Amino acid sequence: MSAAPDLSARQPKAIHSALEVLEAVARLGAGATAKEISVQLGLPRATAYRLLNLLVEEEYLVRVHDLSGFALGRKVAELAHLVRPARPPRAVRELVDDLRGRVRGGVHLVGYAGGLVRILDEDPDFPLSDSARLERDPEASALGRLLLAERYAVPDAASGGSSGGFAAQTGSFAPDRACLAVPIRDADGTLVAGLGAAVPAARAVDPDVLLVPLRETAARLGPLLA
Amino acid sequence: MDALARAIARPEPVDGLAERSPLAGLRRRSLGFVDVLAQSVSAVSPAGAAFTTPLLVSSIAGGASVGAIAVALVLVWLTAGTINEFARRMAAAGSLYTYVARGLGSGVGVVAGVALGIGYAFIAMFAFAGAGYYLTVLVDRLAPGAVDPVLLGACAVVGLGAVAAILLARGIRISARATLVVEAVSVGLIVALIVVLIAASAAELPAVAVEVVGGESPVGFAVAAALAISAFVGFESSTALGVEAKRPLATIPRVLRVTVLLSGVLYLGAALAQSLGFAAIGGGIADSASPANDLAVAFGLPWVGIALDVAIGTSLFACGIASTTALVRVVFSMGREGLLPAALGTTHPRRGTPVAALAVVLPVIVAVPALLVLAVDGVWSAMTILIIVATGGYLLAYVLACVAAPVFLHRIGELTWRSGLRAGVAAIALTAVAVVYLVVEAGGARAIGVWTFLAVLAAGVALIAARTRARPWLRHAIGVYDSPVADDVLGGIPAIEAEPGARG
Repeated sequence: MSAAPDLSARQPKAIHSALEVLEAVARLGAGATAKEISVQLGLPRATAYRLLNLLVEEEYLVRVHDLSGFALGRKVAELAHLVRPARPPRAVRELVDDLRGRVRGGVHLVGYAGGLVRILDEDPDFPLSDSARLERDPEASALGRLLLAERYAVPDAASGGSSGGFAAQTGSFAPDRACLAVPIRDADGTLVAGLGAAVPAARAVDPDVLLVPLRETAARLGPLLA
Repeated sequence: MDALARAIARPEPVDGLAERSPLAGLRRRSLGFVDVLAQSVSAVSPAGAAFTTPLLVSSIAGGASVGAIAVALVLVWLTAGTINEFARRMAAAGSLYTYVARGLGSGVGVVAGVALGIGYAFIAMFAFAGAGYYLTVLVDRLAPGAVDPVLLGACAVVGLGAVAAILLARGIRISARATLVVEAVSVGLIVALIVVLIAASAAELPAVAVEVVGGESPVGFAVAAALAISAFVGFESSTALGVEAKRPLATIPRVLRVTVLLSGVLYLGAALAQSLGFAAIGGGIADSASPANDLAVAFGLPWVGIALDVAIGTSLFACGIASTTALVRVVFSMGREGLLPAALGTTHPRRGTPVAALAVVLPVIVAVPALLVLAVDGVWSAMTILIIVATGGYLLAYVLACVAAPVFLHRIGELTWRSGLRAGVAAIALTAVAVVYLVVEAGGARAIGVWTFLAVLAAGVALIAARTRARPWLRHAIGVYDSPVADDVLGGIPAIEAEPGARG
């Protein structure tokens, strides 16, 4: 029963659907019925019921109100680090703030716990244009591409990918904006977080100017985030 | 993930949840997958049924046991899928009784409860008698003619009942694990014998194939199918462990599917091997007292026969324990609800076992077969009567569960055409098989079994009806399950503090 979980490439999508169902239950409040949840999600009823029963079996959801309604189970608290990462330590925030003082652009820190992109520290002066999409669609962003390159061990991901220990993206979120991202690794070399700088597209033509301070900060963040 | 993040950070209390489960007192969430599997497998007793079922089927319906077993497997598979619609959604101790009450209301629920109780009680009696039967076969082989087999059989039933009482009061975990080992060894032996028999008599395959396909009247086939279904009964018994199983909503449905599939494959192999084997040695399976034994001797493996007799006897004993386990929990649930005296709904303060229900139920389960063995002057004849009563009870409970499932799913707004169709097919086919079976048996030599079933059913329902008439509020108390308590939902625990510096 407790064999090693059979993770496949399709799994991230399944995890995403499961989280969407939990999100819908949280939004509708305790006691939401299967029908209401399937309408809220725009899912076919049979699919929604299957997901719901799976989450009930795993005890992330609990049936209430004579079995017809759903509420979040206490096990959901275990997902806390997936959906709402704790604020990073002060030493980390100070290093990132220090970098923000030297780079003209938005400097953002994300974590990769659970194989998902989760924002740890967003630049307050240059906020992300679409933070939800950054977390949802790793292929679009430089910070997401770092994670994908790591997962599929791609040495050189597509155009503007992650060659030479960094990832880049131009025009994914706004036509004239680009982003460069460098990995933050722990002592074993495992990817734990990513540090990105969003700048006007013209300034990303010569990446080295930005990469030097990014890499220097990333190296110092490694031991603090591991 | 905004709403979810907010809910985790500041959980909102959920209304209408009790502090304690209505079934508190049982050892909650203590049994893993293997222990739950042991319950269902022991109750089915595949090792015991693998050779007794083809024997029963053949002695009543002639050949065609392979075909009847295949049809039974399909039917039981559909039934298990339908029962799982309940098992995936609620954790109960009352098994099908609770499920039917949730779907069709308290009146029909009571009928299902009594029927299921009859099933568990009489299959336990059958199993204890069967264990005694194989013990007498063994003693007779070691010391021929030394002891009167009828008297020995009756004494063996009482002795085995006493051992079962101790194991059941101590907690089901130890006995469940021991029986799973016994079952695995027995099944291993049987599989080995099946392979030897089929390999040695493969030449008879065409002749037996004709017999499998060939002429059986629909009535005869329905009776054979009913008997074959009786080899699977008990697969649903782990649904009585809803409170005690870890992750019950995931574990129990899986256990039901695994149990049905494994037993079905084993029965098909055993039936085929026996047909081939007897065709090869030129004898009739129906004339054999212990077919596995006779076949093993005929194929020059006498020690396998002895080992199998021991294994089958032990497996039947385990079946007695497992069926009593389930019965005691159904009675316990009825005690908790007030349907039966409240004293029956109490548990042992330390061991978490429903000892009061056990103390009432077990003496009956032991006394009936012991007296019956003496009355009909033979253990095997007693067993053929007991199995009819049990099969009647189980079939009625299964039919009611299959009717209740779509109603229940519709009520909670989760009915799909697929689950409805499956339940419908299972309900209709099971009803047809049950009616034909009981009508045929009522006109036969063992009619007493059918009348006993109907009489006990009527008496049980009347007794409970009288009790509910005096206490009208009971009608709303029926169907308790292990409903979530405040501790199970997110709003029931203290808010998680945002801890700076603590990363997962």
